[in-house]
Amino acid sequence: MDFRLNEEEQAFQNEVRDFVQELFRDILPPDFAGVDPGPEEEAREDIEKIAAQVWHRLGAKGWIGLGWPKEFGGQESESKSWILNQELIYNGIPGMDIAACQGDLILQFGTEEQKKRFLPPISRGEVKYAIGMSEPDVGSDMFSLQLKAEEKEDHYLFNGQKIWNSGIQRTDWCVVYARTDPNAAKQHNGISVFIIDPKSPGVTLRPITQITGLDAFCEVFYDDVKVPKENLLGEKNRGKDVSMYAFSIERSYGMVILHNARRYFDQLVEYCKETSVNGQPLAKDPLIRNRLAEMAIEIEVGRNMGDRINWMTGQGMLTVIPGCQNKIYGSRVAQKLSNLGMEILGLYGQLDDTSKCTQLGGRFRHMYLSSRAWSLAGGTSEMSRNIIAGPFGLGLPN
Amino acid sequence: MDLAFTEEQEMLWKSARDFLADKCLKTMVREMEKDEKGYSPELWKEMADLGWLGLPFPEKYEGGGMGLLDLVVLLEEMGRACLPGPFLSTVVLGGLPVMEWGSEEQKQDILPKICKGDVILTLAQAESSARYDAVSIQTSATPEGDDYVISGTKLFVPDANIADSIICVARTAQSSNPEKGITLFLIDGKSPGISTTVLSTIAGDKQCEVIFDKVKVPKGSVLGEVGQGWEMVKRILEWAALAKSAEMAGGNQQVLEMTINYAKERIQFGRPIGSFQIIQHYIADMSLDVDSARVTLYKAAWKLNEGLPCANEISVSKGWINDAYRRVATQACQIHGAIGFTKDHDLELYFRRAKAAEVLFGDSDFHREIVAQELGL
Repeated sequence: MDFRLNEEEQAFQNEVRDFVQELFRDILPPDFAGVDPGPEEEAREDIEKIAAQVWHRLGAKGWIGLGWPKEFGGQESESKSWILNQELIYNGIPGMDIAACQGDLILQFGTEEQKKRFLPPISRGEVKYAIGMSEPDVGSDMFSLQLKAEEKEDHYLFNGQKIWNSGIQRTDWCVVYARTDPNAAKQHNGISVFIIDPKSPGVTLRPITQITGLDAFCEVFYDDVKVPKENLLGEKNRGKDVSMYAFSIERSYGMVILHNARRYFDQLVEYCKETSVNGQPLAKDPLIRNRLAEMAIEIEVGRNMGDRINWMTGQGMLTVIPGCQNKIYGSRVAQKLSNLGMEILGLYGQLDDTSKCTQLGGRFRHMYLSSRAWSLAGGTSEMSRNIIAGPFGLGLPN
Repeated sequence: MDLAFTEEQEMLWKSARDFLADKCLKTMVREMEKDEKGYSPELWKEMADLGWLGLPFPEKYEGGGMGLLDLVVLLEEMGRACLPGPFLSTVVLGGLPVMEWGSEEQKQDILPKICKGDVILTLAQAESSARYDAVSIQTSATPEGDDYVISGTKLFVPDANIADSIICVARTAQSSNPEKGITLFLIDGKSPGISTTVLSTIAGDKQCEVIFDKVKVPKGSVLGEVGQGWEMVKRILEWAALAKSAEMAGGNQQVLEMTINYAKERIQFGRPIGSFQIIQHYIADMSLDVDSARVTLYKAAWKLNEGLPCANEISVSKGWINDAYRRVATQACQIHGAIGFTKDHDLELYFRRAKAAEVLFGDSDFHREIVAQELGL
């Protein structure tokens, strides 16, 4: 047994850490406290600009799609891919776009032409992607989706609606799940996947303001939108395969949440060391020590679970179950941390980043609000529990 | 990164599981709770013959020359089987300190006997404050000619009722720093002046009050250096916390499996209760507690085995599994309903052991304080 990175991985981790330092020197503002991963915080103009620069630099480094085959600019290294993500996320660097994960789908299901067309711009850091799955009446029960895509002579005609499409206002492409066979005997058999240009005529975006105050996601209306046939990803009516694959590679979402939480935690620990109350640092208060240590233990346990997943992935083992465990766990730990931070900050916890007197950049206020999404997005904790329980053979629920 | 067992470890856990399934029946486990000695000498001999008692000790002392990670693999299976007896006391609390700090003479005297199953050892550390800290050590050892005279009362000493040798933690000098002036003595358990009373515990194990009443021990029985004992105690407590975590990880896994089986068999409303979503979600959460605790245990054991600094990892492991095992055991009781609340079912054995294990060698608050120190708080 050995929990260490191998020499090559260690060297790569050092290279990434140097790169992060470079970003702090060249691009990030001096008091940059970090942002959450994902497109949400790019709704702020300053973060959007930083994200675009980082995305370009990652492309120039050849670090987008590190797990891909060499002919598409990758290094066929899953471990490098998670090492890079881990470092960027821990440091709260915006810019790693979900285009990289959508590229995984194109690699798996795309035609040769599609790979040549869609992958190089991703690996150069030139294009951004969004995902269109949910609909007003379709959440966890995603195979009941209704957005209609009718096959015509040289295109598919889209009519219907999506919702909760994060960041689609700022992307070049959206991977959209639509119904191509409304009469399929089983509803999951009539779904297909398309790569759609959100600027196509007939697409209307209506931003929705999140609880954090950010216009992060959109309702998307499709009115007679023509999507070229060559933008169909995978076989017609076999979108279930694509979605199952997409879920299986989302196994790392729990780690994304956890490495993001590590940054908040370290900032909170520093705050407790530096802040004196009644003549002694908060860090010397037995109750605070106990609660911070409890948090440190939970974060460490989550990292160990992540090590297990990374190792299993490298061994070619299925990681759907541990991925779901980690997703439940990571979101629970991060939500607990957000509350701990708010309690330690007390009245200051209310203040946002624009306010006078704010502490820790107002990040815990943001986290307390934004972390509600982490037990929902990418599969709710309840759906994850269903998946974990499945292989135990307990019998099917009604 | 490589998180797989070696071939030897695979063989070890498989043979341990088979052996214990055959020899450590729950009827025996229950009998041993009431038994005066609390262990089966025949089974002890068989474990010696299998090489388990000498597993971590060097071959030159007739041991197996294996590592602490291998020991953890074995302890997991013992926890799964609820194996009663002085394995942890003898091998971890007694044997490892002798291996680490004993003189050549002490090692040659004790270690081969441990390997052969001829002696039982234990550690007498805690006192009336029932805490694992230095300030609580009030038992005194006073030099007198070629001897030390030891007086004081130790509590919660595991298996002292059957111990041939006791490592006693005593104060040889007073100091403003309570961690200074502590010395370890390797004492014959049958020495005049030692009296032992078995306490009646929640898990039915044999934790004892041991009174040392002017016990004379030769100066040669000091283990390690005079006055340097507390650093050694901290190290022993790390080993013990890890070993206990391993037993707990095994029990945790067994409780999960028992509960899954029960949920499949128990019919209510015309269907197995396992088919109800709420039961499935309870079990999903239990599996998370079981799997997360195990990989965290291995991380700590691997670091210890490699000789890397691991105080933090061991406290993370014990601090986590204390709570995780309690959650799993209590949830299992809820899912089992009334049957889990009876002596007719095996679950109660684990439920009681989970609570006992939680407080032995550091409860969660104890380990959180260590983690807090590691954070620089």
